[in-house]
Amino acid sequence: MKKILLCLGIFCSVSIVAQEKENDKLNFFGGLESNSQWYLNDKDLGVQHPVNPIRSNNYLFANLRYKGWTAGLQAESYEEEALLNYNPRYDKTDVATYFIRYKNEIVDLTAGYFYEQFGSGLLMRQWEDRQLGINNALRGGRLIFTPVKWFKMKGVYGRQRTGFDVANSDIYGADVEFGLSDIFKMQTTELSVGGSYVARDEKILVPNPYYSNRTDAYAGRINFAHSGYYASAEYNYKMPDAVIEKKEEVKNTFVKPGNALLVNMGYSKKGFGIDATFRRMENMSFYSERAANKNQFNDRIMNFLPSLTKQQHYNLANIYVYQAQPGVNLADNTVLKAGEIGGQIDFFYNFKKGSVLGGKYGTKLALNYSDWHALGGDFYLPKKDYNTDYFGFGKRMFTEYNIEINKKWSDKWQSAFSYINQNYNSKLIEETFGEVKTNVLAAEATYKLKATRSIRLVGEHLWADADKKNWASATAEFNINSMFSVYTSDMYNYGNDDPDLRNHYYNVGGAFRKNSTRIAVNYGRQRGGLVCVGGVCRFVPESSGISLSLNTTF
Amino acid sequence: MKKFSLLLLFVGLHAFAQKELPNLQLPNLDGKTVSLKSDFSEKDKLYIFSFWATWCTPCIQELDEMNDLKEAWQKEVNFEIVAVSTDDSRTQKRVKPLVNGKGWEFSIILDTNQDFKRYLSIVNIPYTIVVKNQQIVHIQNGYVPGNEKELLEKLKTL
Repeated sequence: MKKILLCLGIFCSVSIVAQEKENDKLNFFGGLESNSQWYLNDKDLGVQHPVNPIRSNNYLFANLRYKGWTAGLQAESYEEEALLNYNPRYDKTDVATYFIRYKNEIVDLTAGYFYEQFGSGLLMRQWEDRQLGINNALRGGRLIFTPVKWFKMKGVYGRQRTGFDVANSDIYGADVEFGLSDIFKMQTTELSVGGSYVARDEKILVPNPYYSNRTDAYAGRINFAHSGYYASAEYNYKMPDAVIEKKEEVKNTFVKPGNALLVNMGYSKKGFGIDATFRRMENMSFYSERAANKNQFNDRIMNFLPSLTKQQHYNLANIYVYQAQPGVNLADNTVLKAGEIGGQIDFFYNFKKGSVLGGKYGTKLALNYSDWHALGGDFYLPKKDYNTDYFGFGKRMFTEYNIEINKKWSDKWQSAFSYINQNYNSKLIEETFGEVKTNVLAAEATYKLKATRSIRLVGEHLWADADKKNWASATAEFNINSMFSVYTSDMYNYGNDDPDLRNHYYNVGGAFRKNSTRIAVNYGRQRGGLVCVGGVCRFVPESSGISLSLNTTF
Repeated sequence: MKKFSLLLLFVGLHAFAQKELPNLQLPNLDGKTVSLKSDFSEKDKLYIFSFWATWCTPCIQELDEMNDLKEAWQKEVNFEIVAVSTDDSRTQKRVKPLVNGKGWEFSIILDTNQDFKRYLSIVNIPYTIVVKNQQIVHIQNGYVPGNEKELLEKLKTL
C-alpha cells in the first residue's frame, strides 16, 4: 500500500506542476488488461475446479510524460489467486514495476524497472509476456548514450524481478554498437559490429566452490547487408559455472562454461525471399539465481533462447511444439544433453497476378524446414562430464517441414492451405518417453458477405503414430461487423488408444471491440499442455470453464 | 483488490488526456535508425502505424489488403503506412524475406524488444493507430476483413 500511495503522490504532484504551464503538454496514458476465469467441474474431462474457482490476472499500466520525462508504474492484481499454473510468486495485489526516465537525442536514462536486450538476447533480455507469466524486468538503472549516429553505448545495473520481489543477485551489463557503414560512408552497404558484457553476481552457498560468485559472459556480433543480400553472426561465451541438472540442485562437482553461435543469412527481392539460420548452444541456461534453473515458470530467466522453428497458428500444429534445449542433463546413457545444434530454412514466393499460378490476385507460397539435434560429443557417466564436438550432431530432437499456400480467389473468397510434417522426440525434449511422428493438414476459407461481415471456416487433421494419436479440429468464426465476432471450435482426440480419453475440447465465445477496447468471453475446455509464445512455453493443466478478458488503453 | 480499484479511480480522473507518439528510435529494415518524433512529422499528414508480426495471420491479411488498395487511396488522402514488426529475435529474421516476398511497399520498423508496443499498452495484434501531427487520432484494435475500407473512410474525416 505504501508503494501505491507514494506513486500516486508523485503522479499527482507532477500533474499539478505540469498543468500550471499551459504551453507544455502533459501526457497521461496507459492501459488495462484483465483476464479472468471461472473454473468448473467437468466430469467427462476428469477435472475438478481448484479450491478458488474464480481467478483473475489484472494489469494496470499508467504513465505520465512531460517533455523528455516519463514516469510510470504497473500494478498487478492476482485475486483471489492467479490463473492456474502461473508462478505462485504472483500473489495478490501490489505495484509490480515503476520507473522514471529521461530521454533526449543523446542520453536515455532510466531509474527503476526497465526492459533491455543486448544483441539477439542470447545473454540478456528482459521482457514481459503476460500469457506466459514472464516479467523479468531489472530494477536498477540504465543509461543509453548515443553521442553520434554511428555509436551507441548501453550500461545497465539491476536486480531481477521475481513475483512482486527481486532476485537475490546483482546483474551488470554493457553493450556497444558501431555503425561501420556510417563511419566509412558506405552508401549501399549496411555494416555494423557490436559487443556486450553481462555478469551475474550471486553469492555461492556451497563451501570451497570451484566457480566464482560472479559469472561473466561476453558476446560479439556483426551485421551485414548489401542490396538483396544480408548476413549476421553472433557468438556468446559464458564462463565456467555450476551446471544445474535438476531444479534447486546446485552442485560443486559439475562446472562447465557455456557458449552459443547464431548465424543467419538470406536473400530477397520483390516477390521472392530465402532465409537460413544456424544455431549451436552449449550449456547456455542463465538465471539470476542458479537454483532457479529449470523452474517451470521461466522465473528469473536472464536470456532469451527461443526455439527456432516456424510459429504455427493452427490448433493441431501446436500440440508437438519444439522447445529450445540450451541446458545440460546427463540423466542416463539414453538422455545425454549438453545443448542443441540445428537450423531452419525459409522460402517465400509470390506468384504474380496474371501468371498461370497467380491468377487474378496472385498466390503466396511459404516453405519452412527445421532440424534440431542434441549436441554430439563424448559423455562420461557416472562421473558427469562431457566434451562436445563443435559441429557434432547427436540424436535428433525435432524435425519439421511445412508448406503454406495463400490464395485470394475473388473480392469475396480467400483461402489458405497448410501441410506440416513433424518428428518430435519427447524422450529428449520433455525427458519423458517415446517419439512422435505427425502429419498435419489444415485448410481455411474466408468468405466476405458484405463490408465488414465475413465467415471464416477452418478444418484440421493430425495423424500421429504415438502418444495421443489422431486428432480432428474445426473452427467457425462469424464476424458480424467490425465490432462483434462470435466463434465456435472443437478439437477431438478421436484416435486416442484409451476410449475414456477420446475427449472433445470444445469452445464457444464472442468478442466485442471498439477503438482501443476489446472484450472477449469464452466457454469451453482447455487442452492440457504447453502454451507457447515466441518459442517460450508455459505448461497449462486441463481445465473447463468460463473466461472473460478485457483490454483497453487510455 | 481495493488497492487496484483505487488506482483505477485515479486513472478515471485522467482519462481525457491527449496522447502523443513516444520519442523512440527504432531500426528500419535497412538497419537505419528511425525516430518516431522527427521522421513522421509532416504537417497534417496521416501516418498509419500497423503493429504486426510474421506469425500473425490476420495482421498479414490486413497489410496485404492495404498494400493492394494503397495507391488508389493515396489519390484521395495524404497518408503513409508504417508496418511495425513486433517480432522478437526468434522470428525477426523472417521479416525481410517475408516483406519482400510479398512485395509490400511501405516502410517497416522493427520493434524487437517491444518498446513501442509496451508504450502503447498493446495487448493483441493486429493493432492499428492513426497519427496526425504527432497525436494519436484513431485506434483500431484487431482486424476483420473489410476493416481496411472502413479505415480509409475514417481517414477522410481525420
